[in-house]
Amino acid sequence: MGYRKIRGVTPPGQYFLQGDEACAEGAVAAGCRFFAGYPITPASEVMEHIVRRFKDCDGVFVQMEDEIGSIAAMIGASWAGAKPMTSTSGPGLSLMMENIGYAAMTETPLVIVDIQRAGPSTGQATRPGSGDMLQVKYGSHGDYEIIALSPWSVQEIYDMTIRAFNLAERFRVPVFVLSDEGVGHLRENVTVEQEVTVFERDKAPGQPPFHTDEPGGVPPMPCFGDGEKLLVTGSTHDPFGYRKTQVSEVHERLVSRLVGKIRNRADEIVDTDSYFLDDGPDVLLVAYGITARAALSAAKVLRDEGQKVGLLRLRTIWPFPERVVVESAQKCKEVVVPELNQGQICREIERLLDRDVISLPQTNGETMKPTKIIEFVRERAVTQP
Amino acid sequence: MSKHLYKYLRTEVFPTPFCSGCGHGILMGAILRAIDELGYDMDGMLFVSGIGCGAWIPSPHFAADTLHVTHGRPVAFATGAKLFKPSLKVVVISGDGDIASIGGNHLIHAARRDIDLTIICANNGIYGMTGGQVAASTPLGMRTSTTPDGNRERPFDLCKLVEAAGGTYVSRYSVHQVKPLIRSIQRGLEHTGLSFIEVLSPCPTQFGRRNVSGTAFEMLQTLKEDCVSRQKAETMGSEELKYKIVTGEFVTS
Amino acid sequence: MIKQVRICGFGGQGIVLAGVILGHAGILDGKYAAQSSSYGAEARGSACKSEVVISDGWIDYPHVLKADILIAMSQPAYNKYCCDVVPEHGVIFHDEELVTPNPQIALSHFPVPATQRALQIFDNRLVANTVLLAAVVSVTGIVTPDSLKLALDKTLDGRHLEANKKAVDVGFQLGSIVKKH
Repeated sequence: MGYRKIRGVTPPGQYFLQGDEACAEGAVAAGCRFFAGYPITPASEVMEHIVRRFKDCDGVFVQMEDEIGSIAAMIGASWAGAKPMTSTSGPGLSLMMENIGYAAMTETPLVIVDIQRAGPSTGQATRPGSGDMLQVKYGSHGDYEIIALSPWSVQEIYDMTIRAFNLAERFRVPVFVLSDEGVGHLRENVTVEQEVTVFERDKAPGQPPFHTDEPGGVPPMPCFGDGEKLLVTGSTHDPFGYRKTQVSEVHERLVSRLVGKIRNRADEIVDTDSYFLDDGPDVLLVAYGITARAALSAAKVLRDEGQKVGLLRLRTIWPFPERVVVESAQKCKEVVVPELNQGQICREIERLLDRDVISLPQTNGETMKPTKIIEFVRERAVTQP
Repeated sequence: MSKHLYKYLRTEVFPTPFCSGCGHGILMGAILRAIDELGYDMDGMLFVSGIGCGAWIPSPHFAADTLHVTHGRPVAFATGAKLFKPSLKVVVISGDGDIASIGGNHLIHAARRDIDLTIICANNGIYGMTGGQVAASTPLGMRTSTTPDGNRERPFDLCKLVEAAGGTYVSRYSVHQVKPLIRSIQRGLEHTGLSFIEVLSPCPTQFGRRNVSGTAFEMLQTLKEDCVSRQKAETMGSEELKYKIVTGEFVTS
Repeated sequence: MIKQVRICGFGGQGIVLAGVILGHAGILDGKYAAQSSSYGAEARGSACKSEVVISDGWIDYPHVLKADILIAMSQPAYNKYCCDVVPEHGVIFHDEELVTPNPQIALSHFPVPATQRALQIFDNRLVANTVLLAAVVSVTGIVTPDSLKLALDKTLDGRHLEANKKAVDVGFQLGSIVKKH
């Protein structure tokens, strides 16, 4: 098993798709054949589109009674052999949190698409935000790791959804396509290739499904009905799934492995993109999602004006691209983080750098305009020459 | 437990964690006898359970695929597994607090969908594992750790609830009615669509000691006296039935 | 070359759909297109805007900053966006019946009797968006007429497709005679 190339379901070619639709197309291409969801703006189009696409590939769709049920059904289906997905937004994500921890604990592969809207609470349902950046990582109780990817275009949400499934299967972990209304409801060119690279689970009969001696390793995952008599539990368990809720060493070893399998493989997962960093710019913009497009646009305008501005774009949010951020920041005088929240990722960067990081927050339910970044950088250049 | 049933069990985890006098051991035996008599292959079965004493009946005891999930959600987990792999025989075994209180929404929607699951609800009328708090199934007037002066809230009639929501096989038996219980579990397993079997199971540790029912034996005696068959109930007046529990099959469509 | 188009009006007028068809026509011309919209939670009646950016290459920022072309189908939408048009070469197309231009806006205005013709010819005001869009395409050449028709084929089906195809022809015709104010 492992990585292999398959023929995609969608005929190759050029399409004009909404981000939500492209996400569903990517899922189908990656082999997703189970979707459990609940309606929510601005993520419902993912679900509506996959319902149409499942007709062509015998996928199983169920609209559950709530988001708690959606993620529960996904976990059940994943252990029955499916590559499952759901799509949601902040309020639904909040409801899923307990079972996200369950999926992390039981090492269940699944993909959760979060088309972020302006929160907190019901907030502005139809408008973009990036307020869930920390929630996806820290929202469930206890210590665990997840993977979160952040697309900035419709093409990228297609490609990243495929990658999300591969990472989920490869690492047996919940993976988030952490997008926003700006990308989810954007319609753009999408190129669909004939061949898709997918990761297939290693079943390894008889092997312990919850342990491997390999440091940072991922155990094999058999499925229900294989005759393995699987014991799957969210309680602390030994390599074969027997509950060991009173044994401290078992808990320590399990939690360390759940965290380690992601942290130790961060270099395999982390993915970034950079612009104008070669000359050691004065200002480093660090951005992600739809905001990174405003940042790139701003960087180009400022470069034309003679200002040395560069951009580091985070395509992976979790595990956090620590090494790249530190290395990029070393070359620059100032680090500015424009984002559609009150500085969530800025704080994460501050944690890494031994200096001030400048937050450029925006929580007004609009995508950030390049002019906001341009004016901010110009003003700082004047006041802090 | 009869030795011939050991092949269905992970005997290495014995003894079971159930208190002496708990009805869940009888229910565990009844489920395995039903499976044994039907000749089912446990390798084709999946047992899903939530959190609570009832959830421990299959996990880790049953030598089959078991999925022990978050509190209240086993029916939703089971829904996903069954829909993706219809060849699996999927059985939910969990308590009343798990299935009917925190998980009540999933229960009624599974019944509405009439999805092909068998749900066995071990109803002891109380939250046993967490220390005897009042449940949505605690009878009126009963003392629990959170109703020291007696429960003032009416309990759910779980069978009526599932029937109204669209379940297509619905029954209720007590663990003292072992033979009809086994037969009912078999019917539930053989039924296509949602089957719901409520099993009254005494909890001497949390329920008994706070209420008049006393010892485990006395609780079973009381349960026996309180239960009347559906057929007999039809001949009784509402005043007579006030403190009775009607058992039998309610929906067999 | 990069062109920014803003289409605005009320929810239910087909504002979003017009943007989707225009963007789709753009990619059929071999270009990059980005279409987005903003709307309220109501399905009908609230203010609605659809934006399309069409470019020869990758589009950094996918939203409209200043419109090269504004297409207005309601007075409140016109009033809101008429100042957000490129002063040098920006043009405004508006439904003749639904929008009265502000005389203080010194930009080229093209009044198009889209709703009136939609009612007159099709007895259906729902195709007014397509009539207006086709007139815009005819006057500005932002996408080719063939791609516009093909985009309709790819976006709509059944009875909607037939009516809208006819509406495109009406719009092209109006475009050839519409006079700048």
